[in-house]
Amino acid sequence: MNQGWRLGAAAAGVAVLLGVAVVAEAQNAPAQITQRQEAMKGQGAAVRTLTQMVRGEQPWNQQAARQAATTINNTAKMIPSLFPQGTGAEAGVKTAALPAIWQNKADFDAKAKTLEEESAKLMAANDEAAVKAQFPNVGKACGGCHENYRAKQQ
Amino acid sequence: MRTAACIAAVLFLLGAGIHATQAQEASAVAASPSAASRGQYVFNLAGCTSCHTDEKNKGPLLAGGVPLKTPFGTFYGPNITPDPTYGIGAWSEADFVRALREGRGRDGAHLFPVFPFTSFTRMTDEDAKDLWAYLRTVPAVPTPNKPHDVGFPFNVRLGQMVWKWIFFSPGRFRPDPAKSAEVNRGAYIVQALSHCGECHTQRNLLGGVDTAKALAGNTRGPDKDAVPNITPDPDTGIGKWSDADLTDLLKDGMTPEGDFVGGSMAEVVRNTTGKLSGADARAVIAYLRSLPPIRNKVEEKKSP
Repeated sequence: MNQGWRLGAAAAGVAVLLGVAVVAEAQNAPAQITQRQEAMKGQGAAVRTLTQMVRGEQPWNQQAARQAATTINNTAKMIPSLFPQGTGAEAGVKTAALPAIWQNKADFDAKAKTLEEESAKLMAANDEAAVKAQFPNVGKACGGCHENYRAKQQ
Repeated sequence: MRTAACIAAVLFLLGAGIHATQAQEASAVAASPSAASRGQYVFNLAGCTSCHTDEKNKGPLLAGGVPLKTPFGTFYGPNITPDPTYGIGAWSEADFVRALREGRGRDGAHLFPVFPFTSFTRMTDEDAKDLWAYLRTVPAVPTPNKPHDVGFPFNVRLGQMVWKWIFFSPGRFRPDPAKSAEVNRGAYIVQALSHCGECHTQRNLLGGVDTAKALAGNTRGPDKDAVPNITPDPDTGIGKWSDADLTDLLKDGMTPEGDFVGGSMAEVVRNTTGKLSGADARAVIAYLRSLPPIRNKVEEKKSP
């Protein structure tokens, strides 16, 4: 009898904790959305740095180029986890994330993987010419995901 | 003797002319390879595949089935492969050119302006014929068309007549002699082929474009997204963009912020602007820069 009572209490406790966790996650959605928007802005800044170097508008700097590529790569690795369930339009906060993300999560994650791979190649590029050659592939990976998973304007 | 020779010559030329016309209209006769390859470039710039190929579901080339959501209902792009039953295989070149120029189907029915004949009307004869030549080389696919999901009164074809009377001015592109050849080429691509204004110009409630504000942005875009102002206004348009910025946008969809366009513009970049030749991209940019800047801030889509 004792054990039955404790088992019941434990089960109730777990249920309460789970409920709290679910509520907490839902309440966290705006914060998560802001976090990933910041991450994407970081992607844009890294792309801008590389663009200016590739165009010759900024002097070539191998270290800066590698740093920018690393930023893109690190964020790419995080992308699948930056879009948990409940952080789409239903969160009630302005987001450009389309419902298609959660309808096609496997494809979405695969596109993030492509960005991870292309940016890894960019990190490994050893000179200006190699960076110039690989950079468009990174851009294609960005656009390839945005086409179906991001609203045109935020 | 000379008269006979003259008559013979005239008859020969007439016969040759008739034969040539018949050759153009016969469905089985292949056009010259260069016409079809020129036509493929026209095809890319006109962006046919975006509405006629169901890329999302890996559908066959030009077999139709793409939903186009508008405020008037959902239209499904038809099959324009040379299939004689389900595509346009039974059409003649003249039928096709009439569809482009006048917005009429083979049976004479008015086409819905979701098909941008309002822009294609400006195509040159040569481009229209080359495009036809290319379309004939695409594999025939026997996929029936999905019926449009359009309610009353918008499904009344007679209503299209009224719409066209108000909003449609047919006619080939006329170059502006005051502008350079490059600007005119850019104007032709934007107005007649890539039909940029169909999205980038404000639509009214009846679905007509506000020609006075051409390319100055549209709050009622496809996918219910706002479409940017691409006139050279420095604050609300592309006035501050460099040539390199504009080139990268057309080629890769990249904005000056290092962002990459999403949604339907990403598709446009992939299927159309990304396939512009270097010279044509420069022409498009020259044309856009030649436009009067229109100050029009297009409101971003409100959440959620």
